[in-house]
Amino acid sequence: MKPLPPQDAANRPYWEGARRGVLMLQRCADCGQHRFPAARYCARCRGERSAWVETSGRGVIESYCSFHKAYWPAFEAELPYEVVQVRLDEGVCLFSNLVRGAARAGLKVKAHFEPITPSVTLVKFEPL
Amino acid sequence: MNRDLAGRVAVVGVGTTRYGKLPEYDAYDLGVWALKSALEDSGLGFDAIDGLIINRIPDYQRFGEITGLDPRYTLITPGQGRFSGICIQTAVAVIAAGMAQTVALVYGNNGRSAGDHYGGASDAYGSGGAGLWFPYGMTSPGAFHALMMRRHMEEYGTTSDQLGAIASTFRRHAGLNPDAVMRTPFSVDEYRAARYICEPLRLLDYCLINDGGVAMILTSAERARGLKKAPVYVRGMGQAAALAGSSFPPQDYWRSPMRKVAADVYGMAQAGPADMDALMIYDNFTPTVLFSLEGFGFCAPGESGPWVAEGRLALGAEFPTNTSGGHLSESYMQGWALNVEAVRQVRGECGARQVRDAELVQYMTAAPVVTSIIYGR
Repeated sequence: MKPLPPQDAANRPYWEGARRGVLMLQRCADCGQHRFPAARYCARCRGERSAWVETSGRGVIESYCSFHKAYWPAFEAELPYEVVQVRLDEGVCLFSNLVRGAARAGLKVKAHFEPITPSVTLVKFEPL
Repeated sequence: MNRDLAGRVAVVGVGTTRYGKLPEYDAYDLGVWALKSALEDSGLGFDAIDGLIINRIPDYQRFGEITGLDPRYTLITPGQGRFSGICIQTAVAVIAAGMAQTVALVYGNNGRSAGDHYGGASDAYGSGGAGLWFPYGMTSPGAFHALMMRRHMEEYGTTSDQLGAIASTFRRHAGLNPDAVMRTPFSVDEYRAARYICEPLRLLDYCLINDGGVAMILTSAERARGLKKAPVYVRGMGQAAALAGSSFPPQDYWRSPMRKVAADVYGMAQAGPADMDALMIYDNFTPTVLFSLEGFGFCAPGESGPWVAEGRLALGAEFPTNTSGGHLSESYMQGWALNVEAVRQVRGECGARQVRDAELVQYMTAAPVVTSIIYGR
């Protein structure tokens, strides 16, 4: 089985959002900057107040690469597989996979939610 | 950066172990071996060391215990390649401040025999959040650099063959270095035939994983005079970090911190890129060489691919680079062996791979912490 994401309490709203098909990000209540993974303080204004907010799930592919080596046995059957680097419209970066279409830098994408287990849904992307 | 530091501290001893697979030595043993070699090179004894900076070796206390050292200044740093430059610069500051007179910098790496992996469950690259991306198959510093390279290719038209030019040049240099682990030259066709690890990067774009140790002895310019070998002075140095958002590839290929470091290192040395007789560029992966050349101003942003493909990095050409073979072909000593190669080039000790009249040699690393050091007579 492929590795599952760590389920720490701080990021629970992100994973709960993914399960219902919404991309949630933490947003600084002082300066408005979005962030993920969760952090107590805002890296821009260092404010401590924050809230989880729904986002459009849209972004752009900044780059991509193709794995020809499996670092976990569960990935072997998919070699070569692609990983994309996505910058969300809110400025937050994620690594993920593109579920259809060909990756290229500059491609506009939106979140696609893929249930893996009853409790974990991964945030993947598809062309907009 | 205080430019008055230029030439105030010198390297007076360098030492390296054999490189390769050395399962009978742990990281401490490799460090001691290198330190004995560096002291022999300097003509100094253990009793001359009053500063100790340890890198990658797990514990400074145990290292001091097994070598019988009681220094006035002690420091240990994480086993990341960016820390070699940081350690050397710290030694310069410590000596200039009078906190210690003679600093031993000691590095030991038994990663090959210990079975170290740089991807998968033990992946510690970035700032600790890597586990979040494992479910998507994202892992390893190699993939991080593959992402940077793919973007460079799409933005500027840089090609795989241009990376091959870097890798094959360093391999040719390694062929002239009897201590190098990988010495068999390869052609561009052989490069193209090498298997991908994380496309666009192939096996030959990746550094080696091998065992070894490196040590350096630094002291003040005053104390350096009259020692066994001619001092090699730290003529310039600079450091700048780009830690914000650094779990992801930087959009500017680390140009912003490199420009700051370039201003400091060249300003302090009162020299520019064109004055460098040889370059030692941290080559964890071939793309880092391109990013460094652009960031330090050897060529314009985006032009590094064609620039290296014209053969400029070869011995005998404009900027002989990684004359030892570097991390790609000599030894993965995380910057330390490149600093030692810089010192040996300035001394004129490099035999078949010697750069004629090497007066100024520049070390540089492109990473979330950028450092550069210019060594000179």
